[in-house]
Amino acid sequence: MAKIRKDSEGRLHFKLVYWGPSLGGKTTSLRYVYDDVEGLDKGGFTSIEDPSGRTLFFDFVPMSASGKILFDVYTVAGQTRHKHQRKVIMRGADGVLFVADSSRSMKQDNIESLQELKDIVGDVLGDQIPLVIALNKRDVDDAMSREEILKDLSLENSSIPVYETIAVKGIGVKRAFQTLSREVLLKQLYGIKTAH
Amino acid sequence: MIALKEFDRALGQVVKADSAIKKCILVDRTGLTIAHVSRYSASSVDVDGIGAIASAVFCASEEQGRNLDIGDLLMVSSEFDEGKIFAASCGRGVLCVITDPEVNIGLVRLVMKKATDDLKALLQEFLAEKPIEATAEESTSERAELEAALKELEKF
Ligand SMILES: Nc1nc2c(ncn2[C@@H]2O[C@H](COP(=O)(O)OP(=O)(O)OP(=O)(O)O)[C@@H](O)[C@H]2O)c(=O)[nH]1
Ligand SMILES: [Mg+2]
Repeated sequence: MAKIRKDSEGRLHFKLVYWGPSLGGKTTSLRYVYDDVEGLDKGGFTSIEDPSGRTLFFDFVPMSASGKILFDVYTVAGQTRHKHQRKVIMRGADGVLFVADSSRSMKQDNIESLQELKDIVGDVLGDQIPLVIALNKRDVDDAMSREEILKDLSLENSSIPVYETIAVKGIGVKRAFQTLSREVLLKQLYGIKTAH
Repeated sequence: MIALKEFDRALGQVVKADSAIKKCILVDRTGLTIAHVSRYSASSVDVDGIGAIASAVFCASEEQGRNLDIGDLLMVSSEFDEGKIFAASCGRGVLCVITDPEVNIGLVRLVMKKATDDLKALLQEFLAEKPIEATAEESTSERAELEAALKELEKF
């Protein structure tokens, strides 16, 4: 079990990480949750990005659902060369939202990105550390079918929750976040995975 | 459970050591800001964001050291036009000190050395895996908090 993350005021922090290939929509998804989802108390939005808006290291927002429970939400930098930075950001993660890019040209990038995540997290991914999948960019012309992407990711027979999202329009993004944060809290409370 | 005031006391001593020391933040290696103390309590910076960057930068330097096989990272210092940042490992945490540009570096090192020893011991206990013998009362209130948070999540 991941170490408990607690601050000196006794608040419990859960670390959620948005992972996925570069330009897949991680930052856009987190931005949407930050700007448009009400009902969560949010701190500042910290990002380390290049002038074009691509993440260089990470984005970070703390959000609280209730007084003593906080979600520290991060996105990683998806570009291949930022591999070491991603490993640093994954430390202590309690749950992962994998943001896949539905564009056909990103087929291989999705596969490699999930493999890298599995290599870092190990067997606990999707079990001790909840995993939720967002199939983003459902609006693009060359979008692959849901079935095709899940097959690519070897998830066609799994019970991992999957959401189809359009981050630029905020579609599905809130639900994906909600499900991940819920799974993480349930894991903490009962140590079990719920049925979907 | 370790009281908040023990972290505050250790960090407070760092801030008190010299008037050029403005702020002191204790983070862990996952980006969590555990505690912080400022000389000017009114300063309105986003401490959680600062702490997240401090932790990530320190860990990235450590990773770099490992890749280059040059041993453990002792301290990171960053010099700016109008201030300095020092970060040093303290066991499972990282202590960050923010100062004016003209600070006495020898003094800062000395003060940080003392504080990191204290904090290392405090953190050992504080960050320990959830103790099985947590009092029933403590774990009940924690469950209640978690359940309340779950209900909140259903709402939005
Ligand atoms: N058509 C379309 N474009 C999207 C969608 N989501 C994000 N984008 C665009 O894709 C580009 C990249 O989005 P980001 O959110 O920066 O991607 P990222 O995953 O954070 O990328 P890195 O920071 O490099 O890892 C931006 O131009 C977005 O506007 C979507 O659902 N549909
Ligand atoms: Mg990004």
